[in-house]
Amino acid sequence: MPEVSKMKKPDVKIVLLGDMNVGKTSLLHRYMERKFKETVSTVGGAFFLKQWGPYNISIWDTAGREQFHGLGSMYCRGAAAVILTYDVTNWQSLAELEERFLSLTDTANHDCIYALVGNKADLTDSKAQLCQDSDGLVKDRTECNEECEVPSGCPTPPASPTSLPGVMLRKQVINEDAVTLYGRILRYKGLEEKSSLPAEKMCFETSAKTGYNVDTLFETLFDLVLPSILRKRQENQQSPTVDLEECRMVGSKKGRSGCC
Amino acid sequence: MSVKAFELVPAVERDLLMGDKARINIECIECCGKHLYVGTNDCFIHHFLLAEVASSKGKPGYLAQKLLHKYLGLKKPVAELRAASALERLIVLCEGIVFLVDMVTLETVPSAGGGGAKIRGVASFCVNENPVNTDPFCVEMGVLSSKRRTVQIYMVYEDRVQLVKELTTPEQPCAVSLDGYFLCLALTTQYMILNYNTGASQDLFPYNSEERRPIVKRIGREEFLLAAPGGLGMFANAEGVSQRAPVRWSESVIGAAVCFPYVVALDESFITIHSMLDQQLKQTLSFRDGHILQNFEGKVILASTKAVYVLVPLPLERQIQDLLANHRVEEALILTEGAQRNIPKDKFQNLHKRILQQAGFIQFGQLQFLEAKEHFWKGQLDVRELISLCPLLLPASSSFTRCHPPLHEFADLNHLAQGDQEKVLQCKKFLISYLGEVRSTEVVNGCREDVDTALLKLYAEQDHESLLDLLASDNACVLADSVPWLEKYHKYFALGLLYHYNGQDSAALQLWIRVADGELQDPTRSDLFEYIVDFLCTSSNVDLVWKYADWALRKDPIVGVRVFTKRHTSKDQPDLNPDDVITYLGKHSQALLLYLENLVLEKRVQKEKFHTHLAVLYLERVLSLMSQSPKDEEQLTKARERLQALLRESDLYRVQFLLAKMENREELLLERATLHGKLEEHDKALHILVHQLRDFPSAEAFCLWASSSRDSAYRQQLFHLLLGVYLDGSPPGQSGDSGELEMAAVDLLNRHGEVFDAVRVLRMLPEGWSLQLLRPFLGRAIRANMHACRTSRIALGLAHSENLQLLHDRCKKPVFVSEKKGCHLCHNTFSEPSVVCLPGGVPVHTHCVAQRVRDSPTKRHTEPQFPSWTLQLWS
Repeated sequence: MPEVSKMKKPDVKIVLLGDMNVGKTSLLHRYMERKFKETVSTVGGAFFLKQWGPYNISIWDTAGREQFHGLGSMYCRGAAAVILTYDVTNWQSLAELEERFLSLTDTANHDCIYALVGNKADLTDSKAQLCQDSDGLVKDRTECNEECEVPSGCPTPPASPTSLPGVMLRKQVINEDAVTLYGRILRYKGLEEKSSLPAEKMCFETSAKTGYNVDTLFETLFDLVLPSILRKRQENQQSPTVDLEECRMVGSKKGRSGCC
Repeated sequence: MSVKAFELVPAVERDLLMGDKARINIECIECCGKHLYVGTNDCFIHHFLLAEVASSKGKPGYLAQKLLHKYLGLKKPVAELRAASALERLIVLCEGIVFLVDMVTLETVPSAGGGGAKIRGVASFCVNENPVNTDPFCVEMGVLSSKRRTVQIYMVYEDRVQLVKELTTPEQPCAVSLDGYFLCLALTTQYMILNYNTGASQDLFPYNSEERRPIVKRIGREEFLLAAPGGLGMFANAEGVSQRAPVRWSESVIGAAVCFPYVVALDESFITIHSMLDQQLKQTLSFRDGHILQNFEGKVILASTKAVYVLVPLPLERQIQDLLANHRVEEALILTEGAQRNIPKDKFQNLHKRILQQAGFIQFGQLQFLEAKEHFWKGQLDVRELISLCPLLLPASSSFTRCHPPLHEFADLNHLAQGDQEKVLQCKKFLISYLGEVRSTEVVNGCREDVDTALLKLYAEQDHESLLDLLASDNACVLADSVPWLEKYHKYFALGLLYHYNGQDSAALQLWIRVADGELQDPTRSDLFEYIVDFLCTSSNVDLVWKYADWALRKDPIVGVRVFTKRHTSKDQPDLNPDDVITYLGKHSQALLLYLENLVLEKRVQKEKFHTHLAVLYLERVLSLMSQSPKDEEQLTKARERLQALLRESDLYRVQFLLAKMENREELLLERATLHGKLEEHDKALHILVHQLRDFPSAEAFCLWASSSRDSAYRQQLFHLLLGVYLDGSPPGQSGDSGELEMAAVDLLNRHGEVFDAVRVLRMLPEGWSLQLLRPFLGRAIRANMHACRTSRIALGLAHSENLQLLHDRCKKPVFVSEKKGCHLCHNTFSEPSVVCLPGGVPVHTHCVAQRVRDSPTKRHTEPQFPSWTLQLWS
């Protein structure tokens, strides 16, 4: 599957962050290709270009593996939205977001939008399970367990415990936990809760497996980053050349970007 | 799963460089135009002239000619070499010292003013390929110190170097690349971007330089390629943003270079080639003892410790064709599109189109029609390439020949489908839909005839419903080519349409008539006969109408006559003279009747001749039905009703003529009464009705009918006449019950009391009639009189009060009119002194009042409803 970049210049950047095995690549694949397929552990990062109306939105899929952690803040630099992804069956994956990934977003735009996404909802939620595939078929449960992301070259075992066919997994992360974390993220960013996007709008539970909520997630974000695109276009019109002053500004923020 | 993008070609063989001296290794290389410089570990610089030669089989090759070698006089290896061709200098790093040597003689350049041309304590340096300084005889250089945590910027001139800037770095730097003001540095634990003008820095990502040798390569304007943890090749621009996804190298990568659209990397045993467009590994070449990999002005040169090689990119088109040959359509397109900026615009467009077309054909061959269509469309394919896959579809007149070199490998659809007729059918269906879509676009400019003819043939062959739409609309089908094809598939109706489109209506009609007569078989239209009639209706060719109307009338006079009755008249369609038509229809009596009915009853042609003719025909029909035995009563009643209706409603026919025709016909008394009525011989008419027919309801109806368009006095007169006839009783000599007539008189009075003049009636009535008998009549008459009396008194009173009001308004309140005052009805100002005052003294324009009166629902009153008066107040 070639990740076609073509020669279009992206207008805005959205970055997927999260621990390994939470399903970042699958989410993106489900949205772009309308299907769920077995993915291998992402190396480094990959990006897709999505045409959204007249705009090109680049969506960066990052590697969750610790090995590539250092690259995260570079991917996040200048991002208009960050999708912080966790696995609803794995409490640790939510904790990792705060411990490891949140600091990576220091390099994102000051008005960056944050979304908290609990993936694999189909494992715990019958509602998400019933969400049909694009081909109209609900796949058998057993198939899913085999298809759960188990990267071959992965140094640690998959984070999500395997389950017996047809047996619901215990949901380790409930939506309220995500909402609470969202509040802490805003505080970390020094943002007022009142003037920011509300948690109930920015916390999603999705299933890349069944497609549950996936379109909603991406399309909500695309709509939310539109003002950012327009502003960027306007700025570009004002100065077509590279502004060296701007570079200095980027540099002056350096103090906060020390990720390691 | 790979592409052959590069070929590894030896450039300088081992024996040319060092002969049999085993310990000599290559340390660094520099290539500048045709000049290749090699630095060795024994402190020599070797100078070669590198010439490109085409070897056997057309493969690229290089021939190196040794010009010179020179010992630099030091004991350490030559670490780095860079050419500054404008200065004719080589910048050399050896034993931690940077100095200049002449490019031709390789002699060390003596420093101007003593000792200025050397920099000591240098770990590494780089040349700015995108210099800030505009002086062409000056080279910008970034220098890393071997001992201190600094990076220095120098200007290098022909015979001296000058320190411009020195910056401190947070850690010891170990690799550097420079673009404009931006230094990309590998420090001990991370990469960073440093702007040497502003001092601003940007951390990129962590990297342990002690574990793995860092790589920092400028690959374009403000963009760098870096070796990242996990064997990644990361891209970063001067803002510290990655705009391309990383490529995946091995952990032990030594060198990397970009040769668009590929990233070439070297590790201990392989050269790997990734595409920057999709990040996929495209080619792997085995290369042992790899040591150096560098891109010099677009030329990728590698060196092992003993020999130098050139990595020659294969022509892009060949790479693309290789991909296409393996049916790797997506990759071929990505490669093509990725090369856009490296190829002149017009050349790119042609190439891109061709690749899209080829891609389309590959997908077409795999029956992936959706994708194929997109590529054909984008590639603006000459659709005849597709059409020509179906034998005989292109018209004989077409000048088309397939593109050379061919866009695909298929002889025809049969070849493509390998005889599978199901597949052939699918292809044809696709072709139909595709041609249908493109035929109205500019893609078919210049070959519309070919496309439309092909589409017609496909439609006919596949029995497609759109065949008729194609022919009925604007099209460019070639007639000569289409006729045999349509005949072959029995599409005679369609062929007729095509004849018609080509102005050959006569041919069309002849063909259709043969189908309608059952001589040819074409089930397209079950109502073909009606279609032909309608066609004749709308035909502007009058001769054709006269010629084929007879056939139509003979086949079915009722439908056939529509040729004349349904004929639309318009500017370009001459109307037929009705007299000619009537003469023509002489022998088709039924059709003639229908035609006259159409003229008189529908088109309402006001011509005595037609009305009389129709009335006579109706009469003749009635008479003929009457003379039959047994009589068909139902038919007769219908026929008489028609006749009567015409006699009643038309005012144009010759009454006397008709009256004469039914003079002695006792059966047609009703009709005769009507005719008398037409002649205003009401007494005769009523006589017939009352005395001969004794049909009192008809007599009453006659009175109403005969006075229907007259005033009430006329009606009153008629009713009095009827009353008189009733009261006079039966004429002498005619037996009849006078009591019956008296009852009819009473009924008439009681039913239509309002019509009569009550006083006159009372005078006429016999004295002996009882009051009770006439009570409804009298009651109504008295009430009507009372009502009239009271209404007039009210009207009088109202008029009186209006006059009083008017007088009051006029005397008490003055009415002001000026040019600034607006009319209350139209809101425009007044321009004339004459105005009309509405009640309450509101002045308005006279024309506004007139308008309002005209528009008011009670406009039948000629006087305004409201009291108003005209003023002349202008002073």
